Amino acid sequence: MTQLNPNDKIQPHWWSKTLVAIVMGLTLSYGIVAIFAWFGPGGISAPMKVQLNMWLISAIWLPILAFIYLFKSTKSAFISMALINTLIYLIFSGLWWIQ
Amino acid sequence: MKIRSDVLRTYQSLHTWTGITAGLVLFIAFYAGALTMFKPQITQWASPSSVYANNTPLVEMDTLIDQAVMQYPKATDGFIVNIDDQYSSLSWYEKGGGRGLRLDDSLTFAQRDDKGNLVTQTSDKNALGALIDKLHRTGGIPGTLGHEDIGVLIIGVACALYFIALVSGVIILLPTLVKHLLALRTHKGNKRFWLDSHNLVGVFSLPFHIIIAWTACVFAFHDPFYGGLTLVYGDQPLFESQPKSTISYNVNSLPVIQDYLDHIKVVAPNYQVRSLEFSQLSTTTPSLAIQLASEGAMKRGAVTDIIFMHPYTFNIDYSSLNKVEEGVFGPLVNSFFSLHFGNYAGNYGRWMYFILGLLGAFLFYSGNLLWLEKRREKQPQQRRSVRFMASLTIGVCLGSMLGVATTLSASKWLYLFAVPINQFYLICYYGLFFAAIGYSFYRGGAGAAITLLHALTIACLSIPLTTLIFSVMTNNATHSFDNNTIIVDVMALFFAMIFFIAAKKAKYRAFNGERNSIWALEVKDSLPKQIVLAPDFKD
Repeated sequence: MTQLNPNDKIQPHWWSKTLVAIVMGLTLSYGIVAIFAWFGPGGISAPMKVQLNMWLISAIWLPILAFIYLFKSTKSAFISMALINTLIYLIFSGLWWIQ
Repeated sequence: MKIRSDVLRTYQSLHTWTGITAGLVLFIAFYAGALTMFKPQITQWASPSSVYANNTPLVEMDTLIDQAVMQYPKATDGFIVNIDDQYSSLSWYEKGGGRGLRLDDSLTFAQRDDKGNLVTQTSDKNALGALIDKLHRTGGIPGTLGHEDIGVLIIGVACALYFIALVSGVIILLPTLVKHLLALRTHKGNKRFWLDSHNLVGVFSLPFHIIIAWTACVFAFHDPFYGGLTLVYGDQPLFESQPKSTISYNVNSLPVIQDYLDHIKVVAPNYQVRSLEFSQLSTTTPSLAIQLASEGAMKRGAVTDIIFMHPYTFNIDYSSLNKVEEGVFGPLVNSFFSLHFGNYAGNYGRWMYFILGLLGAFLFYSGNLLWLEKRREKQPQQRRSVRFMASLTIGVCLGSMLGVATTLSASKWLYLFAVPINQFYLICYYGLFFAAIGYSFYRGGAGAAITLLHALTIACLSIPLTTLIFSVMTNNATHSFDNNTIIVDVMALFFAMIFFIAAKKAKYRAFNGERNSIWALEVKDSLPKQIVLAPDFKD
């Protein structure tokens, strides 16, 4: 295995990365679910869809929680999550605006 | 597959610490969950057949209901009709009723004697099955927060940790997955063997574990999740609310039972009605809950589907059956429930989930053993944290199972004395559970493991023994038990054998195994000189 540059190695940052995943992972999950709920198949009032939406939140959140530790540091995790969050909420706003 | 070494190290730590924090509570949740697959059989085993009084033919049911409603004011509020293949039963809540688990609920069962007179018998509603189910959902952690059990929330957090442990477990296994998956190396020392079996079980039941981790997390936190969804939905209501009725009804105008059965046959042709539970019959909000069974269908409830119906107008307020107009979302959501409960494949599915649940418990137990083994030092006295964790693992895991096995076995005996049965179940379980933990810390894990495994063997053996004694000895009708729960006895016998073998192995390990181990016991001079020091295997 090739020797990694110490600067490229994953920093543990257990608690701070966990916090990023819990808070920003949750907002991201709700953002994705919001797009699916309003603009996905059936629209907002399809029967039983509210239950599926509730189930989807944790289906997105749990993998984020599990894979957040792949980020090199808390800083990179925070920046990436902030960018993805912004993107998702921009898409939601855009769809809301054109509907 | 090659994976960067820092990724492996990171996920190795994650796997270790999420596993060790969540392992014990999940062990209880898993083995108790496996037992809930046989909840009806266990409850039936534990309570006298007189309690059920399934001996009214369905054609006589309406006459029986009329008589009961005339004579017993409690029955006018509501009653339960259990429908079985041949005979059915009528009962109503003397105390309690409604949703949730209360230990002091009592039911009155009614039947007609030869002359057509009403005969009733009131007894505590047996909650053994429900308590095992609660042990599964809460890990036995008492207390409530708002309307939610604290134990459920803790299990919910444990399930999030368990999900991380699953992902990290797979990641650290990837580099050697192909080479070592099917290798069960018995000759490379105990640690290798435990590690190999831990990996084998983990990989082969991975889909089951991912489903369980996710669904259990949702079951624990659905209220906050819905709370957040109200923000997403804005002015759009999450659920349609039913319009309130002002019409008051009277129990005397209730349709006959056959009308309901005919109606259900149209609404749900492939289902069998198991029970009809009428409540609030003389109010503006009367309700009828109908339990529907179907072998092989994906069901929303643990064992049955449910329809809530207006008992006078037959208007369906809620149905958990898949409906065509709900499109793809209804069946999809129902399948998540069904995949947790394992109710979609009849008996085959029940056994499969029972085995997968027990294997899950094994996964957590072996995980803890590996944690201890990894921290082993090459000296007889092990670190304090290791001694603590060994005592805790043995005390919690074996103590919890000892509590359940003994409570089950004590049930038939408790019916001989007029005691509040459900409270005694709790005293018995918690008494033994905490006694086992105390004993484990007092004696240390190695010694306690042997004693507790022997105790478990005896507790499990006493289950079929109790059945035998009661089937031979009692001719008193109120204390006779059904004999069609032989499955419980067979399983108990099987587990007695497993625990006996485990006890033997634990004893061998304590005296003949690795000396520099948490599991070694000092050899007393009085013991025969058969001790061979095992070579110290290097990992």
